[in-house]
Amino acid sequence: MSEPRLKIALTKGRVEKQVVPLLERAGLDCDLIRHKQRRLIFDSETQPYEFILAKGPDVTTFLERGAADVGIVGSDILVEHRSTQYELLDLGVGRCQFILASTADFDPAAPKRKIIGTKYPLITKRYFDRLGQDVEIIKIEGSVELAPLTGLADAIVDITETGTTLRENHLQIYDYLQPVSTRLVVNRLALKQHQTAIYELVDRLAAVVAADEKREIRQ
Amino acid sequence: MLNKLLPLGTRDEFGQRAATKQQLISVIQAHFKQRGLAAIATPLLENQAVFAPYQIGNYQYYRLLDTEGQTLVLRPDMTLPIARFLSATKVPLPQKFSYVGDIFRVSRRLSGSYNQMTQAGVELIGYPSLKAELECLAIANQLSAELIDDAVEIELGDAQFAQQVVASLTNDQAQQAAIKQALFNKQIPQYTALIEAFEHEPLMAFLKKWPRLFGQPALIFEQLRAAPLPASVQPAIKRLQTVVAWMAQTMPNQAVSVDLSSQAPQKYYTGLTFRGYSQAGAGYLFSGGRYDQLLANFQAKSEPAVGMGLDVDLLTALASSPEPLAPQQLIYFEPAQWPRAEALLARTAQAQLSLAPNKQAARSEARQLGATLIDLTEGDENE
Repeated sequence: MSEPRLKIALTKGRVEKQVVPLLERAGLDCDLIRHKQRRLIFDSETQPYEFILAKGPDVTTFLERGAADVGIVGSDILVEHRSTQYELLDLGVGRCQFILASTADFDPAAPKRKIIGTKYPLITKRYFDRLGQDVEIIKIEGSVELAPLTGLADAIVDITETGTTLRENHLQIYDYLQPVSTRLVVNRLALKQHQTAIYELVDRLAAVVAADEKREIRQ
Repeated sequence: MLNKLLPLGTRDEFGQRAATKQQLISVIQAHFKQRGLAAIATPLLENQAVFAPYQIGNYQYYRLLDTEGQTLVLRPDMTLPIARFLSATKVPLPQKFSYVGDIFRVSRRLSGSYNQMTQAGVELIGYPSLKAELECLAIANQLSAELIDDAVEIELGDAQFAQQVVASLTNDQAQQAAIKQALFNKQIPQYTALIEAFEHEPLMAFLKKWPRLFGQPALIFEQLRAAPLPASVQPAIKRLQTVVAWMAQTMPNQAVSVDLSSQAPQKYYTGLTFRGYSQAGAGYLFSGGRYDQLLANFQAKSEPAVGMGLDVDLLTALASSPEPLAPQQLIYFEPAQWPRAEALLARTAQAQLSLAPNKQAARSEARQLGATLIDLTEGDENE
């Protein structure tokens, strides 16, 4: 019987750039991804892996439908898209933070039904549910910072890494929600079908992540 | 335009897929009948209250109101309506039931999932002995071998094991629930943080390995022997060992694994659980187990019960490719020749009557079907 091939869906863009070096240090041949041109599927000739490059939300869809065995995607997307698959490893990259932000005159305690702009309606709803507040949510697809600046919303829920974009747009942080990082996620049935191959990959990556964490602590 | 569109998550079935599915259902029903299971059919519509014990997860119900304003749902599950039937009718028990029917669960919009699924299954109600689980496993083993080419692995588990282990660690129910949730969803970063509280407990080595506690039975039992587990889990382990030994003897070619790190399919399960999958399938082909408290949701007295559901749509997708259809025979005849045509139809495989009004139309129909025309008006019968 031929060796089973693992289909790995990798979020393209920033996640891809941060994760490819980790995959390489874990012994995976990512040469084809490094020289990808416009291709989106990379079938390794030397190793039993096939990579798919996709947008984050689509990685969760591929995983849910079993079209990919393993997914590498941000925890923000996993929560927002109600992923039901197994989250086996925090890769320790892509670290950022969900925040509530607005202009300096925003009053979080003001007695009114607030209007909140966000790319993440589910995470926003859960946050305000925890606070016992009913808010109106407006879904924004990009440049969420515009919402309070233009008067479209009272505040925003978004992710930030360094806070630079917020500061440059004269927005300040009013609360911190959950942290975000890139995760390795596995389709529930694929873990049973490819148990050995998946755990081999997870253990090799976990060793790389642990080495990085150790180095961070020493610095 | 709406008059041509299907609602989201639904599909028409026709051609080869419809034929294969019908064939599969016939085989399943014949198997159930041969085992003496009583057929049962419950309505597609039920009061939503029937499904109070049901965990719908990420899905939703199709809901509508009856004339009195009561909420009705299209059934998302076949087991609870049967429990409702048994409780309402006081049918004498024990009894074995079988069913084939459609269930409805609304999945995320535009996710590629279907909301209407066909399920076949058995419910063995009123049987406290392990023999009920074994009959379900025998059915699963025989039907999967009969219906699909791909090798099927049967995975055994226990609905109470995880709760018994976490209860031995802490009395804090919220902490118990959090550990179980992280374990079942294999949210390893969260799980690792949650078990840190038990760093100095003798069970810590086991807790670290627990999310990977699935695989070959011998390896799992070895890990269980090495762990200082509470006495409360021992009956479940012994039951699993008995079933694994029985399967090795009764169905030696059946691949078996044990999984003690996953959640039971529904919260109403109380004992042994089992599921089956193949390397090619994108989901479980069947799942079931013991649920002794099922009737307690509808009446004071509970009844021991074991049941299993088979995913007919997934089985259809994986079913052995049928033989290519033989060229069809199309029988053309005058109305006065009807008895002769019927007689020929009855003894000819892959034949059908031509309803064409004249010979020219019959020839055109035969060409379209790729069939051979048998023309009874010219004495052409080749009988």
